[in-house]
Amino acid sequence: MARLVTENAGIVDVLFTEREQDYCLGKRRAHEHMAGRFAAKEAVLKAFGTGIGQRMRWTDVEIVPGRGGRPEVCLHGEVAAWAERRGLADVDVSVAHSAGIAVAQALAVWDEEAEDSRRGREHAGAFSSH
Amino acid sequence: MAESQTISAVQEAVVGALGVSEDEAAPDATLMDDLGAESIDLLDILFRIERSTGVKIQASDLSEYIQGGIPDDEFSDENEIISEKGLEQLKKVMPQIDADEQRGNLHAENVIKLFTVQNLADMVEQRGGSAGS
Repeated sequence: MARLVTENAGIVDVLFTEREQDYCLGKRRAHEHMAGRFAAKEAVLKAFGTGIGQRMRWTDVEIVPGRGGRPEVCLHGEVAAWAERRGLADVDVSVAHSAGIAVAQALAVWDEEAEDSRRGREHAGAFSSH
Repeated sequence: MAESQTISAVQEAVVGALGVSEDEAAPDATLMDDLGAESIDLLDILFRIERSTGVKIQASDLSEYIQGGIPDDEFSDENEIISEKGLEQLKKVMPQIDADEQRGNLHAENVIKLFTVQNLADMVEQRGGSAGS
């Protein structure tokens, strides 16, 4: 992540919202926190089974600090619209980073009564190096 | 930009981002399965291509290019197996795919794993052409 951000001007704006940038840049190991947030975004999209699909942006999945520092997921744009169509009831994420590796897991809970919901629960993880 | 320059620029980006050799970054090598690229590596590759060619491609553009604007529920069936319409589209942008072999077997999430260095060069060529027109 450190190399990616250093070598590619503008990539931070592609990957992270302003709130995420403020959070990470306020930390001593900013790149480690960025890697954790990226892993969390990837885990959420894997739990949805979409990856980065048509018209979706990395900033559509925003990871923000919730109560007690626990990360929370805010969805925007095309990803939010997709999740609403499929009947997303809740999405939870956990992030850990240490010793050059960031790991995240996401749990998506679907409303089985939603008209076009095909899945009850899905679970996916992702990791990223920094 | 000539096609030979485009494929060279894409190969150079792949080599730089993934740390593979020039031989490994052959036109028919798949970015994810053969060369081990992950989504964050694809971003690195796309930014490198933008720097060298001026052609800007975002990660979500890859899906859009592959699907040709066909909505998800038409590109694949309820089990997320690529539909006949989807296979027709794939023949245009990923001509190396054997539609007969993949018919009824190709899961939507596996399509990107078949995307090659040459496929990316073709996309850059197309985007570069449309940007300049």
